[in-house]
Amino acid sequence: MITAGIDIGSKTIKIVALKDAKEIVGRVMILAGTDVKESINKAWAELEKTAGVKPGDLAAIVATGAGKGDAVNAQRTVTEVSADAKGANFLNPEVRTVIDVGAEEGRAIRIDTAGKVVDFAINEKCAAGAGAFTEAMARALEVGVEELGPLSLKSTQEVAMNAQCAVFAESELVTLVHAQTPKPDMARAVHNAISDRIVSMVRRVGMEEKVMLIGGVANNVGFLDSLQKDLNTTVIVPEDSESVSALGAAVLAAEEA
Amino acid sequence: MGKYPTEPLKLWNKAKELRRQFYENYAQAHDKGGLRYAGGAWTFDAVPAGLGEDVYSLTSEPYGASCAYNKEFSLRCLEAAEGYGYARDLCSYMRNYWGSILINEYAFGGPFPKPDFIWQDHICCSHAKWYQTMSELEGGIPMHCVDIGVGAAPPFGELKPHKIDYVAGQILDGIDWMEKVTGRTYNDELYIEACWNDFRSTHTWAKVCELNQAVPAALDEKSLYSLYVLATLNKASKWCADFYEELYDEVKDRVSRGVAAVTNEQARVMSDTQPPWAFLKVFRYLEEYGCVSVGSLYTFGLEGMWDYDEDKGLTPRPMPAKRPTSREEATRMLVDWHLRKPEYQHFYSPEYKSRLMIAICKQWKLNGVMLHYNRGCEGLSLGIAENRLAIQEAGFPVMTFEGNMGDEREFDEARTMARVDAFMETLGIKRVGRA
Amino acid sequence: MIEMFQEWYQARHEYAREWKKKNPGGKVVGFFCTYVPEEILLAADILPVRILGSHEPQNVTEPHIFGMYCPFCRDCLAQGLEGRYDYLDGVMIAQSCLHIRQAFTSWQKHVNTPWSYYLPMPHHVQSEDRAVKFYAAELNDFKKAVEDWTGRKIGDEDLKRGIEKMNKSRQAMRDLYELRKRPNPPLSGLEAMYAAVTEQWIDKEEHAVIVRQAIDQELKERDLGLGAKTRLMLFGSEDDDTGFVKMVEDCGSVIVVDDHCTGSRYFWNDVVLDGDDPLTAIARRYITRPACPTKDWPERRRLEHTLKLAQDWNAAGAIVIQQKFCDPHELDIPEQRRNLEKNGIKTLMLELDVTVPVGQFKIRVEAFLETLSEEDLF
Repeated sequence: MITAGIDIGSKTIKIVALKDAKEIVGRVMILAGTDVKESINKAWAELEKTAGVKPGDLAAIVATGAGKGDAVNAQRTVTEVSADAKGANFLNPEVRTVIDVGAEEGRAIRIDTAGKVVDFAINEKCAAGAGAFTEAMARALEVGVEELGPLSLKSTQEVAMNAQCAVFAESELVTLVHAQTPKPDMARAVHNAISDRIVSMVRRVGMEEKVMLIGGVANNVGFLDSLQKDLNTTVIVPEDSESVSALGAAVLAAEEA
Repeated sequence: MGKYPTEPLKLWNKAKELRRQFYENYAQAHDKGGLRYAGGAWTFDAVPAGLGEDVYSLTSEPYGASCAYNKEFSLRCLEAAEGYGYARDLCSYMRNYWGSILINEYAFGGPFPKPDFIWQDHICCSHAKWYQTMSELEGGIPMHCVDIGVGAAPPFGELKPHKIDYVAGQILDGIDWMEKVTGRTYNDELYIEACWNDFRSTHTWAKVCELNQAVPAALDEKSLYSLYVLATLNKASKWCADFYEELYDEVKDRVSRGVAAVTNEQARVMSDTQPPWAFLKVFRYLEEYGCVSVGSLYTFGLEGMWDYDEDKGLTPRPMPAKRPTSREEATRMLVDWHLRKPEYQHFYSPEYKSRLMIAICKQWKLNGVMLHYNRGCEGLSLGIAENRLAIQEAGFPVMTFEGNMGDEREFDEARTMARVDAFMETLGIKRVGRA
Repeated sequence: MIEMFQEWYQARHEYAREWKKKNPGGKVVGFFCTYVPEEILLAADILPVRILGSHEPQNVTEPHIFGMYCPFCRDCLAQGLEGRYDYLDGVMIAQSCLHIRQAFTSWQKHVNTPWSYYLPMPHHVQSEDRAVKFYAAELNDFKKAVEDWTGRKIGDEDLKRGIEKMNKSRQAMRDLYELRKRPNPPLSGLEAMYAAVTEQWIDKEEHAVIVRQAIDQELKERDLGLGAKTRLMLFGSEDDDTGFVKMVEDCGSVIVVDDHCTGSRYFWNDVVLDGDDPLTAIARRYITRPACPTKDWPERRRLEHTLKLAQDWNAAGAIVIQQKFCDPHELDIPEQRRNLEKNGIKTLMLELDVTVPVGQFKIRVEAFLETLSEEDLF
């Protein structure tokens, strides 16, 4: 029995195909673009090409993500909160706190042994975005987004940056640039600031070991470093951190099928 | 056919008519030689009633809500207030209200009717200042404001005589003041009658809310707003007290016949703080899940009078044993009565509010709680984060959503609905459709 | 000796810890608002310590205080949650604004300070007689609570002692501020800020000694060349951001006076006994002092006071230091600004957070100073 989960996010579309609720047999990620319906079709086509799996072969499909309403061939939809929880639990049943940091939204979820959601928090108005913020900061520092993380690890001193308001933080960065602060130190300040906002949110649900980080920003080694220091723990980052939601949806599909 | 029988409330149209009449009376007060005043809904509206039977009020918060309900009008009001120099994070009722004056449009049509005097209470940092500014915008209006910040009431604190003296003293000063300002002689009989109506209204409203402990709930919170608002307009009036007694009878009847507000009720929640007035559809959305919000400490306890103790929880406060017989006695009774309001104790510690909310969770048989982190009201959002922790600790699931009761620019509908979806999933509640 | 204030500022917790060592059994009470009647604490030989933030980003208050409340109250609570005030024996607040109230109530619940007290300071201070009567009764209850806690009675003589200590300390600060009226002020706004803020947690007598010494000796003839700088006033909510103040003065100004929550409002008027019993006299002092906006109604009496400060200290302009989200001051600022501008004092509005974009603000301050000096030419 093969099931699939499709995560239609604001930036990318991900599909994960799961065999007998145990083995991942296919994985796709493409850009969502402006024509989401077209991109969804492309994603399914890609899955067929790479894993030989067609929608018709599937016992059940569950959709999640901001655009889940567009998934015409899904039997049902779930929120990203539930999908994240199941996905993290599938990858590591010892995980009790899931942190998902994407382009626009950050989430902190506490889960039980079965991957059921116990409590969740989503970033509030005052601390908007994480991924989008990193992109803006990278532009201000004139480095590529992927370079920002490794750059920050070269920092030799901590510089403070406002943790509450992304707009204030951007203003402060300009000040640091003019004060000729070394780039690695500014990069680290940026990651510390995002981490402070995310950790504030995590503290609302309470942190319980083990902790897993997923979503686009999980690949940012600088952010991971700041996060681990703030939480004072080792944080697990799965190999394919961006498709954990889709995986969770696939798991939920299997539970229903 | 849904799970439970449902039928509309018979008194619905009467409630709407009473509200309409209230706003019309304020606007037309001068036409019949009457007086009109403006002030807070929390306020001691029994007091100006002693000036005569033709004294009409405009209560600030419900008027702010009425402005907010009309998105286009509200936006013009808010922008006018901001243009005048007031910050966006200030109380959104207040900004709507000031804006309405600045653009000189009454939410119910025509120009904004200027009050003859201001009779206010100071419950939060902004309350007295609201009218200080209003007076400035209108070129100067006589104003008297009563400070009630004397500490928590039983069982959380002791209302010692000097506390009652302070508040009662300000009210008595206010009576002398309003005689001077209006040129009228104060009538203690009318005042005593108004106090007694106030007690009746708020005692009866609590009884109505208590009926909602029934499963299925006879009323949903969206309806409760339209009914409780009458007390925020004029709880010291005979029409309000009489209406609530009629309402009580109708709701009691609904409960006895098992009539539900939400025909597919399968889950019960409560909310907190004022709702986002421009997005009450959130409550309709809950109905897709057969989920009914049965009320909140806000709808129950802002205008309802309750007793609370650890064992019995919340019970409607009994009417006073007998009517007051003098101005001083009426004043002291009125002060004591209102200082014990449940939706007031949180000003002294979130602990007190948490205990009241947990009592509601238990007595009204709730599956969870939805907290509106209301950016528009510092007073009612005070301590809300601690309430969340305490309610969770007591074993009730809580979700939060950020919004603003009076500034629709600060409410994200899609995001809020997504959170409701996630919360329903965590509670294991599936969609069943509205009917 | 004027550097003493800066040293005290930078080592604030060390001071209290040392004090406890030197005064075994002595109690330290943290307080959140300048309305707290320290006279009564001093009467019981308690060291009162104003709780302030540390201007560092933090991530611990989110579960306790909703983000729409001011950064200052969250910064204060963070200090407690991070254990920085673990030497406190008690913590208290006198009722003023809602925001800081949450720092206190969350502190009561989550920080391990043994004793706490919520003092309902009234808001209707313009109804003076009623407010004084009420507050005197509350102070009596408060006094009893302190007696129960410390195990020692507080008599009228003790209260008079406390009153005298506070009055002396306040008078010393007012005399210090008086020096700033000079065309060539002998101390910078930053130095004055260190002096004003530290008065709020250093032993009052010790602090007053240094203030007096500075006035009588170091500042008598001191010339820092500040006569050439543009004279400014700071007013608004709470401000102890020394980096910000330094930047403002480095731009070519000197801050000569202020009206805010960590400045002159703290020491502006004295307790006057004048026939009242000590508790009533104390109540009257707090009722009649320059008010917090939450207590300045129905009339706007603050307007006159702020304007007079600007005029008496000959300020050319005023910077509004508005703590982000601070409602009480947001309610006053439009009229305050209109009143000052009407009287020829230009204003610049800046919104502060726990940390500020010093670079961006520098540009605005420089531009502001340019507009002020333009006026001088004609």
